[in-house]
Amino acid sequence: MAEERRDDGIPGQALTPLVEVSGLSVEFGGIAAVHELTFAVSRCEIVALMGPNGAGKTTTFHLIAGARQPGSGRIMFDGRDLAGLRPDARCRLGVARTFQITQPFQELSVTENVMVGAMMHHKRLPDARAAARRYVELVGLADKADAPAKGLSTGQRKRLELARAIATRPKLLLMDEVTGGIDQKSIPGMIELVRRLREQGLTVIMIEHNMRVIGEVADRAIFMNRGVKIAEGTPADIARHPDVIDLYLGDAAHG
Amino acid sequence: MFQPLRLNALLTAVVAALVVLGLPLLGVGSYVLHVMILIMIFAIFAVAYNLVTGYLGLKTFGHHAFFGLGAYGSALISIHLGIGAWASLWIGAALAAAFGLFIGLPILRIKSMAHVAVVTLAFAEIVRLSCSNLKGLTRGELGLWGIPAFQALHLPLVGEVVFSPANKIGYYYLAALLLGMTLLATAVILRSKIGLAILAIRDGEDAAESLGVNLTRIKLGVFAVSAFMVGVAGAFYAHYVGILTPSAAIGADLMILVIAMVLVGGLGTFAGPLVGAVLLTSSAESLRFLDQYRLLVYGGLIVLIVLFAPRGLASLRLPGRRVPERPA
Repeated sequence: MAEERRDDGIPGQALTPLVEVSGLSVEFGGIAAVHELTFAVSRCEIVALMGPNGAGKTTTFHLIAGARQPGSGRIMFDGRDLAGLRPDARCRLGVARTFQITQPFQELSVTENVMVGAMMHHKRLPDARAAARRYVELVGLADKADAPAKGLSTGQRKRLELARAIATRPKLLLMDEVTGGIDQKSIPGMIELVRRLREQGLTVIMIEHNMRVIGEVADRAIFMNRGVKIAEGTPADIARHPDVIDLYLGDAAHG
Repeated sequence: MFQPLRLNALLTAVVAALVVLGLPLLGVGSYVLHVMILIMIFAIFAVAYNLVTGYLGLKTFGHHAFFGLGAYGSALISIHLGIGAWASLWIGAALAAAFGLFIGLPILRIKSMAHVAVVTLAFAEIVRLSCSNLKGLTRGELGLWGIPAFQALHLPLVGEVVFSPANKIGYYYLAALLLGMTLLATAVILRSKIGLAILAIRDGEDAAESLGVNLTRIKLGVFAVSAFMVGVAGAFYAHYVGILTPSAAIGADLMILVIAMVLVGGLGTFAGPLVGAVLLTSSAESLRFLDQYRLLVYGGLIVLIVLFAPRGLASLRLPGRRVPERPA
């Protein structure tokens, strides 16, 4: 994956953030889903996006991936303005995502699902199949490789989403609650996988509720509520932030 | 769905091809050949419709427009420009494909399948009404006649092949060739990267797009290819029957019949449209004495199949054969 990253040779390139979101806003039916959101993510950083339901986390993903167009604001990715680009064009630039509500291609097998992502970098179908097999193994679905996707459990579907997304060899991976629905025993494996991907040059923004996962892998966390960024800092800082405790950890913190 | 060709599927295909190619050698009558030719025309139409609706998942109800465009396009070109049917057939099909691109563009952005159905049906009605009313050019419902037949061919080994109402063998083999080409093209598309993208779009458009599949390019391309195939069927039909009326060549009945064929045979299966074309065309011919009431029989047949074989006849397995397990 590392060799796929483009180095434009511009001095200081490595210091500019991979993603720069500035003043991003979008409304649905007059309600601000995301309001004046500004943040940046450096290369090879893992950032957790946190917040209660309706905070605008998934909407932020839709905006970065191109599934929705913002009302105002700008998203710079790898030195390019993403405005007006369709999701497939953004994927070719290196933005990949998983869906919170998994969207497997039901009639295709697990490997074929991943081939759809792998096709982008492999001209020949057999090469795409071989590459897809490796990603299927990487996420631990080897025993389901030829099974139809519609028979998978929720946890397996989440893994499939992940395999499909990384098969496009992204620079930025948007992970939407990938640990949701996965059994507790598998979580350390997922954490290990995300770390390994980062070592290979991947930048990750993850929507995550599991504080253990955030504490173990995230370099930084951004906390949102009602479309607005409330706090930003290390996971430990966020966990101590009074507003966050009130909004999010309230029940757990107070008993 | 997206698997290597299995041996028994290959064997079935070879046997079916041999039966089709060998039938005229058995000395069957002209009527049997006529019904077979109709089956093959409908089969091309149904295969092309299945590509768009069964595999890509775009529920179009206006494909009969392309049949009419191919038929009238090829007929008028050969009548007025003096271009032989062998060439005008492809020009007619190209015309249908061009209109396919034209109507494909607006329906691309429509997410609601009901709206796609209405827009495509309305488009076909516009084509039909235009052909009805441009009487100076098409003679409207009086019928466009005097459409030239295919010119005779001199083939090595076979000798002269003539195309006339009296001798249908030439038409028969030409229809078989066109159907074979349609099936081959469909198989090649479906087993390529484009085929994988087509199935991905059907199962989850947003997910496919997020993985780098260009929806616009794939949808427009498939729509145009499908329109081209239907155009070929229409053009061949024009030069075969020699007379066209808007209601026969662009009527909604035609579309309904093809939809019925694909549903009965199996939507989104490779053999489905063929099974449906054989079954419904031959039953239409054998039920001819019922006149308009045969539509009742069609309706009953479709209801039965939807109830007892919702994936179509092509998905049924013979008793005793192992059915691949499909987790719910």
